[in-house]
Amino acid sequence: MDRRNFIKLTAITGTSATLAGCGNPEHQLIRFVPDDDVVPGVAEWKPSVCPMCAAGCGVNVRVMEADVETTRNGQAGVVKMAVAKKLEGNAKDPISQGGLCARGQASIQVTYHPDRLMHPMKRTGARGTGAFKEISWDEAIVELTGQLDALAASGDQKSLAFLTRPHRGRRTALAGEFLKGFGAAAPIGYELFADEVLRRANGISFGHEQLPTIDFARSRFAISFGADFLGTWNSPVAQSVSYAAMRQGRPGVRGAFVQVESRMSLTGASADEWVPVKPGTEGVLALGLAHLILANKLRPADAGRAGAAIDGWSSGLPDYTPARVAQLTGVTAKQIERLARTLAEQQPAVAFIAGPPLAQTNGLFHALAVNALNVLLGAVERPGGTGFVAGSMKSEVRSLKSDTLASAKVLLLDGGNPVFDAPKAWKVRESLAAIPFIASFGSFIDDTSAHADLILPDHSYLESWVDSAPESGSMAAVPTSAGPVMKPLYQTRATADVLIEVAGKLKTPVALPWKTAEEVAKSTATASPQITAASPKSAAKYAEPVFDGEATQYPFHFLPYASLQFGDGSSAHLPWLQEMPDPLTSAMWSSWVEINPQTAERLRLAQGDLVDVTSSQGTLRAPVMIFPGIAPDMVAMPVGQGHETFTRYASGRGANPIAILAPATESETGALAWAATRVKITRAGDGDGRLIMFGGEMREHPHEHETR
Amino acid sequence: MRSTRAKGLGLRARPKLFALGFQLLALVSFLAAGACSSPPPAELSSSVFTPAHRTTGEAARDFFAIRPTAVQPIPFPHKTHLEKKAVCADCHESAEKGPIAGIPSVKTCMICHSQIATDKPLIKQVTGYSEKGIEIPWQRVYGFTREAHVRFNHAPHIRASVDCATCHGDLAKQTVAERVVDHSMGFCVNCHRQKSASNDCLTCHF
Repeated sequence: MDRRNFIKLTAITGTSATLAGCGNPEHQLIRFVPDDDVVPGVAEWKPSVCPMCAAGCGVNVRVMEADVETTRNGQAGVVKMAVAKKLEGNAKDPISQGGLCARGQASIQVTYHPDRLMHPMKRTGARGTGAFKEISWDEAIVELTGQLDALAASGDQKSLAFLTRPHRGRRTALAGEFLKGFGAAAPIGYELFADEVLRRANGISFGHEQLPTIDFARSRFAISFGADFLGTWNSPVAQSVSYAAMRQGRPGVRGAFVQVESRMSLTGASADEWVPVKPGTEGVLALGLAHLILANKLRPADAGRAGAAIDGWSSGLPDYTPARVAQLTGVTAKQIERLARTLAEQQPAVAFIAGPPLAQTNGLFHALAVNALNVLLGAVERPGGTGFVAGSMKSEVRSLKSDTLASAKVLLLDGGNPVFDAPKAWKVRESLAAIPFIASFGSFIDDTSAHADLILPDHSYLESWVDSAPESGSMAAVPTSAGPVMKPLYQTRATADVLIEVAGKLKTPVALPWKTAEEVAKSTATASPQITAASPKSAAKYAEPVFDGEATQYPFHFLPYASLQFGDGSSAHLPWLQEMPDPLTSAMWSSWVEINPQTAERLRLAQGDLVDVTSSQGTLRAPVMIFPGIAPDMVAMPVGQGHETFTRYASGRGANPIAILAPATESETGALAWAATRVKITRAGDGDGRLIMFGGEMREHPHEHETR
Repeated sequence: MRSTRAKGLGLRARPKLFALGFQLLALVSFLAAGACSSPPPAELSSSVFTPAHRTTGEAARDFFAIRPTAVQPIPFPHKTHLEKKAVCADCHESAEKGPIAGIPSVKTCMICHSQIATDKPLIKQVTGYSEKGIEIPWQRVYGFTREAHVRFNHAPHIRASVDCATCHGDLAKQTVAERVVDHSMGFCVNCHRQKSASNDCLTCHF
């Protein structure tokens, strides 16, 4: 035996002698008897519906056994349970068609988030400090019932308010029934990127107050006015599938796509031609195209009612000559003529609008203009055009305005985070402070629910009955309901069950048509009320967009855009999305201000330098991102970061662009005009490492388009 | 010239290496003993994620592929059950359904023992666990270490009519299950060869 072997041998025998009696620590855990039998190592796939946005993609959830930490009778231990491990798009679902976006993939982290609320809680410290103590469900229900009974006793039922997100299927219907039975007004629905203007325009033009479904797959030419339909708008997964079919699904035919916008979105980056226009003039370009098609008799003018909503339509839109449109929009007359010719030649062609153009003070005009152009192209309710899904469900909601919460005495929070994503001038925070009692059903403490007095945490969507009846995404209606894919991990309860229980325990019980959350999810969707096409007071006419802030003092347009990772910020608490690099800038875990390279050079700003962005409403500080895909007189910021309170991953991270937004509204509908603020930029210092990027610098090709 | 010098250096270095080896050995033994004498951490998860081993002892055990002999809380008599004509899959029911045979839940015990031999002291222990809603803390006897990167699936072996005893020994002769068959790679490969099953790396390793 040589020395080397001797050392090896002594090492092995020595340590094995020492370790033989050790045993593994996991053998000493208490294992509770499981409730159901799970075959270890075998995956089961169960259907559910993604809750991250209103698109309602059907998902398949991979469910397998796992050891779950739990407490039974005050004893800590583990129990074997079937739990969700992975989500994939459901190939049989007409919306997702087997696809699932990044937010959908990350939604599994909602269930396993370390800061998820595990049991009911009552506030102990001052409001907003986040000091809560654990209470039992019985105590929590008594507390809520007591508050509602007190309202009823003083005959003040109208002071009950319920804040939710619009378009949440039958859950909103349940809240509506509860409030109606109690004697209060309809739920308040708030969402920053709510598409209210587009719905109204579609109601006026076509009698359908809902979002359109675009049949890319059979179209040969698509022109989008600001709609980030591959990234964040409406039903991105369904639209991506359909768009892919338009581009590559037909042998020998590649549908063309033009994007009109002022800041290049993910969708714009995918376009054949990107047309930058001055903010608030998108509808003018649409009418300029329509004028050329009408004047040159490129298409028969059978625009009908949709066209009648536009001033000057019947006389062929004489005000929208290429010269004037070029002057207003900044697009050259030559390019307008070429686009009009292509639109008329490439049939079927379709136009659509969403996003920033509708968030101007003249947003409704743009939407009506694009609707009229669509009718002229013959693209409404035809293959390769836009259509409206019949039988989508709609529940009545009130919209949140600056004074909506003023009269509330009891507020129930079930989604929506207006403290974070409503303009400061609406004074949501101050209104909340004046409300005597606030209860929240959310699974997390966010900027708004931090003000709650009582927390009644809901199950995660994987643990409860879910339903959806999306208004768009597929050519046919897709009402869906799905059961829980796993048992609840914590002491949570389905909000539908809580509402039903409270309704029954009130001194004057509220009669609801459902007994359990399961019945709510399974109940058939009531058909949406028929919209009687409301014409605008007079034919829509182009009015100059009004921006908050003088151009001399605030030289830049400010565009807060829906981020691909966080949407309106509601998924900023998921670490997978925080660490996902933004597809256009590769930035992650941070906020940034996108500035055109020429502007940055003029202001002597380098990548990562800190700037103060100041509007009439306030100032925020964020690092500079040199971004060639933005107009020189515009700066943009993704929405989603800058939460004060939203779990360990999002709290205090980055800056919130909504905080400096002016409370401008669309003049016809009263919807928030979130793209109508002007700002100024001042250099605040060198970069301090807060801009985190995955890849290298942006590659810029400023001369690429000059040959056109 | 160059090689001679290198050789010389090597010769001089050897005693140092030898001493170092012993020092390392002493250190490992000391740390391992320390980790063992203190009770294992009670918390189930740490707030900090680390892929490393929690204790030096654990690291050393993994490195040398040393596994402690399973000590069962109740000396389960396989022999007695097999004499009563029970078959393996009556209790290890997942063996036919999936990759892992599984250790039966106390619920499975109670299917019979809520009626049979309820007065025996060991059965009373089993009933005690069941009443408390706690699983009997059986220790695993067989199984591969995670580092072996072995993916084993019971079901195809049962479909190929491999007798349980081939890999687990004749349990009719054992009371408490013991590791009587060494599941080395050679053992697997031999059998695969004899039965003309695939010997591709990816059949078992991932």
